[in-house]
Amino acid sequence: MMKPVYISSASVISPQQHFEDKGLLQDIISTDDGMMWVREPNYKGYINPVAIRRMSKLLKMGISCGMNALQKAGIEKPQAIITGTGRGSMVDTEQFLVSMIENEEEVLTPTSFIQSTYNSINGWLALQTKCSGYNQTYVNRGASFELALFDAQMLLNETNENIHVLVGCFDEITHDYVRVKSKIGYWKKPLPASKDLHKHSDTHGTIAGEGSAFFTVTNKREQALCSLDAVKMLQDTDTGDVIDNINNLLAEHNLNLSDIDVLLCGMNGDSRQMEVYNQLSALASENTTIANFKHLCGEYDTSSGFATWLAAELFKAKEIPETLIARKGNHTGIKNILLVNHYILNSHSIMLLQSVQ
Amino acid sequence: MAERIVITATGIISALGLGTRQHTEALIHKKAGMRPPLHLRTKHAGEFVCGEVDYSNDELATLLGLPAGDNGYTRTTLLALAAMQELMNNTDTTLFKDGSFALVNANTVGGMCSVEDMYPDFISEKTEGAFLKYIDTLDCAESTLNIARHFHLKPFIATISTACSSSANALILGARLIQNSVVQRAICGGCDALSRFTLNGFNSLKNVDKEPCRPFDANRFGLNLGEGAAYLLLEKESDAIARGAEILAVFSGYANTNDAYHPTAPSPDGTGAMRTMELALQKAGLTASDIDYINAHGTATINNDPAEGKAIQMLFSSNQPAFSSTKAYTGHTLAAAGAIEAFFSIMAIREQKAWPNLNFNTPMEEMNIQPLTEVKDIPVHHVTSNSFGFGGSNVSLIFSKA
Repeated sequence: MMKPVYISSASVISPQQHFEDKGLLQDIISTDDGMMWVREPNYKGYINPVAIRRMSKLLKMGISCGMNALQKAGIEKPQAIITGTGRGSMVDTEQFLVSMIENEEEVLTPTSFIQSTYNSINGWLALQTKCSGYNQTYVNRGASFELALFDAQMLLNETNENIHVLVGCFDEITHDYVRVKSKIGYWKKPLPASKDLHKHSDTHGTIAGEGSAFFTVTNKREQALCSLDAVKMLQDTDTGDVIDNINNLLAEHNLNLSDIDVLLCGMNGDSRQMEVYNQLSALASENTTIANFKHLCGEYDTSSGFATWLAAELFKAKEIPETLIARKGNHTGIKNILLVNHYILNSHSIMLLQSVQ
Repeated sequence: MAERIVITATGIISALGLGTRQHTEALIHKKAGMRPPLHLRTKHAGEFVCGEVDYSNDELATLLGLPAGDNGYTRTTLLALAAMQELMNNTDTTLFKDGSFALVNANTVGGMCSVEDMYPDFISEKTEGAFLKYIDTLDCAESTLNIARHFHLKPFIATISTACSSSANALILGARLIQNSVVQRAICGGCDALSRFTLNGFNSLKNVDKEPCRPFDANRFGLNLGEGAAYLLLEKESDAIARGAEILAVFSGYANTNDAYHPTAPSPDGTGAMRTMELALQKAGLTASDIDYINAHGTATINNDPAEGKAIQMLFSSNQPAFSSTKAYTGHTLAAAGAIEAFFSIMAIREQKAWPNLNFNTPMEEMNIQPLTEVKDIPVHHVTSNSFGFGGSNVSLIFSKA
């Protein structure tokens, strides 16, 4: 079993708030069109001013969010950069693809081709921070961010040195993406207001989201926001197996479900994907607060990055904003947060985070 | 000290053929796989040579016992499955029923080879048609999940995408997952199919040679694209010995670094590449003079070859080992390249031969060392295999004789 690692800073760009906003979920933003776009920060100051002019939105999101996480941790140069993305820069991919089709493979400009490469944000972050260390990008649907975190934990377990690993994720919506996936029943019909997503968990479909989240992760407990104790990815399995894995993971950490103060659930409003959350809610004790988050960020491959940022904020705030609560528990304080996420294409992830106080 | 990781099975498909024998014969007989593409539906088909796999999609499907036609499998996945089938035929598959294992796949453009032909349907008003079977195939994990599903595997799953170093990184992750006792074994590799997207993308960068590519040659013009897939089975030496498996090679060292120099170009003085090779040597507990052969990244692009050449020259100074790029055989297979060239490195050890660099005629001014141009029978104990990619991604792997 791997030793825990420590999250020393957390930064986010989300439909609700970004890293320059103060407070935690103070005014809830709701949309009616099934698409939750991010609130964009002022990117200047985080990105090379010459290069920024040619960058697409996802690059700006990923690079600025990564740089902000480093800034918050007071680190100029991390020792490793690890990211996860389900789809990379969809805008660049679509732009190059459509212009190739329309121009019948003639007179193409390379910018969008280069930026469509999944590790381009990693490359920019390395370039801007002069980080010549380990650099890795996972592109594995609903497990992309989890794999990045898992790798960071493994990397920190491989060394006794006090190194800083920058870990993050990014994904974006495009109108084409929403249209394409509507053909295979991804989205709710009719569309509810996003803030009411969980009131409609009896029908098929979800709403689309996007965002970026970055963290610095270290071996140092002092001054950390929280610990990351375990992260587990499961693919193509059933609810019983997910529950077994949750119980085993907790047992390995000398915990059981009733020790969990906040069960952060990735329910996305789709009745077909509620089973694991329903079973968990039934198993959860009165101690545990059951919380939701996808009505705030929408559904996307790396929404668990938003949830991890949220968990880090909850440890800091020591209280749970009303908008998250599905069922309030009797716990006093927040010591253990269990994040359980199910992504559309039959992947589950489990993450255990603990307070360091 | 951590226990040694060994390679005990392989599976490969490329323009040189399917499986170990066809690849070894092509390498020995200097038979390149480059020709104008037949299966890639590009208007530039007559202008460029590519390292295209001979099998059509239907032929690959038949080979795999899948229905022909629009079966929902992209060429990327079909290539991955064909290489994996080879690996499964070369090993005891009960290993994947009981023990814990990982499947670490690498890929750069997912099922773009199919999506690019169907995209007008994707974004049209149409809600029915064969294209629907391909609607979730654009991402890199599509091939990974299809491998697991096709062979009824339940592994720890990961997909890496770091451009042209992707599958070299997959091998590193596999070794680390074993060393950290996350899994007992790991199947690692990568796959990519030719696509108009990548051909036109690299061509828009003026990086593609219409003629067969000339790695490390003064008159090189760019790369040839290729396609393929390769997978290697990694496990601890003691586990391999305990089950009486034949050890093909030891995976003795690796390094992953970043150039932090430019979004697409390597540091021209070669320092990034040199440091990566050096760190891999350190990890293996070897020195530069221990290396007998270098399978270079050698894309034949204007930027890569002098940077990599200088790095080799600096690191190995007076003990220059035999080196070559095998990309003139296969084309640049992008995410598959690291695993395909890892396989070539292992075959160099198995055959005790260093492979030639085809199409080399004129030395570059920037270098005073030259690649091998003929197959050379030499004692091969340790091989360095390099893979570098966009985003400053540098990987160097070392394979050693068991």
